[in-house]
Amino acid sequence: MDFTIIIEALPLLLKATLVTIGLALVSIVIALILGFFTALARISKMKLLKIIGTIYVSMFRGTPLLVQIFVIYFGLPQINISLDPIPSGILALSLNAGAYLSESFRASILAVEKGQMEAAVSMGMTYGEAMRRIILPQSIRIAIPTLSNTYIILIKDTSLVSVITVTELLQMSTLIIAKTFEPLTIYLVAAVLYWIVITFFTVILDRFEKRTSRHLA
Amino acid sequence: MEVIKLQNIKKSFNENIVLKDINLTVNKSEVVVIMGPSGSGKSTLLRCVTFLEEPDGGIIKLGEQEVTAGSQMNKQRKNDIRKLRQNTGFVFQQFNLFPHKTALENVMEGPMIIKKIAREKAKQKAITLLKKVGLADRMDHYPAQLSGGQQQRVAIARALSMEPMVMLYDEPTSALDPELVREVLQVMKELAKEGMTMIVVTHEMAFAKDAADRVIFMDDGLIIEEGSSYEIFNNPKEDRTKRFLQDVSEEIVLE
Repeated sequence: MDFTIIIEALPLLLKATLVTIGLALVSIVIALILGFFTALARISKMKLLKIIGTIYVSMFRGTPLLVQIFVIYFGLPQINISLDPIPSGILALSLNAGAYLSESFRASILAVEKGQMEAAVSMGMTYGEAMRRIILPQSIRIAIPTLSNTYIILIKDTSLVSVITVTELLQMSTLIIAKTFEPLTIYLVAAVLYWIVITFFTVILDRFEKRTSRHLA
Repeated sequence: MEVIKLQNIKKSFNENIVLKDINLTVNKSEVVVIMGPSGSGKSTLLRCVTFLEEPDGGIIKLGEQEVTAGSQMNKQRKNDIRKLRQNTGFVFQQFNLFPHKTALENVMEGPMIIKKIAREKAKQKAITLLKKVGLADRMDHYPAQLSGGQQQRVAIARALSMEPMVMLYDEPTSALDPELVREVLQVMKELAKEGMTMIVVTHEMAFAKDAADRVIFMDDGLIIEEGSSYEIFNNPKEDRTKRFLQDVSEEIVLE
């Protein structure tokens, strides 16, 4: 292994790592919002909302992410919806993760004891107040481990958008290898960078979980 | 003066008729204890009062407010039910405290969120209530850090925080270890002495003897017999009441 290659490639790889982190962060934020409202739709009493939520989850969990990326980036232009590579990537990643997150949210809302809702409404809270003040704060704690898992997978899945020419970490590695012919070195460096990013977020989310569990003596 | 009046309350779950036709009036400052074998419908009756279970039919009157059961749910009715709930304090068998909030925050929650009372004012009120139930030194504890008896006393303080017209207790000591039952009953007795109107579903005969103005015996979805605790315990008229009292007292002897 040639260390000078690593040193030369590192600035570009680090820059691409920022793109990867950016993709993951923007996508997870959209996915959280999407997942949250889909979860509410799926536990609501309104049939239409329920059906829409169920179809969305089924579609995006039931098909490969790569196919979703291709449909959005290569397919949609055919009906005159052309998105640039990065928006296409973010759209696919957040729709995909949102479907998974809605399932964790739904399960974690249902996991809060029935007595909690009863206690809240028996005092005279509305359904919305009870959800916001009593149910959701408890379900977030329950959801964190699976949320954490989904986020880790999302970070790794950003590598898939390299196929639509987004210059994130994996795409950048491939470009550098085309010039240096050092696949082992460069891909290993890329792997280490992914590992550092994921470990960083895992530690933060673990701390968050501990913080939200303080009240459980 | 009557505070709460239940008229012709009926409730079934699927084919199972739980409440047949219940009429009950409770006056201001009256303490009514409801007893009866499990499955007799006493908990369901209590839950029907605040629409935790919607009765299939009947009228619930609380103070000046009247809510008819079993009709179509709309915004107006939702508001009516919410108002009814704000005026009734409900104490659950399993306490149902909010585990992510301290004792103090549990008691502040209702006034702050529902009555929109300012935080500082709600806090002062909550402190007063927690002192009253003997938990001045546990205010910053989370429910998981409290014993069952302490949790139930916080739950009573939480129910009182809404300044209800009536307190409803659904087997408040059934989930407690025997040595913790007394501290909860003590708090309830003090409230009764202060003139709080209460309906209590319980098996605690001693509490009924000490605190109840009236004891109601329910079986099979009906009120079988009612009277003063002395009448019911010493001179029950109905066979079912006699049998139940015998079963309960045998249980106590066995323990």
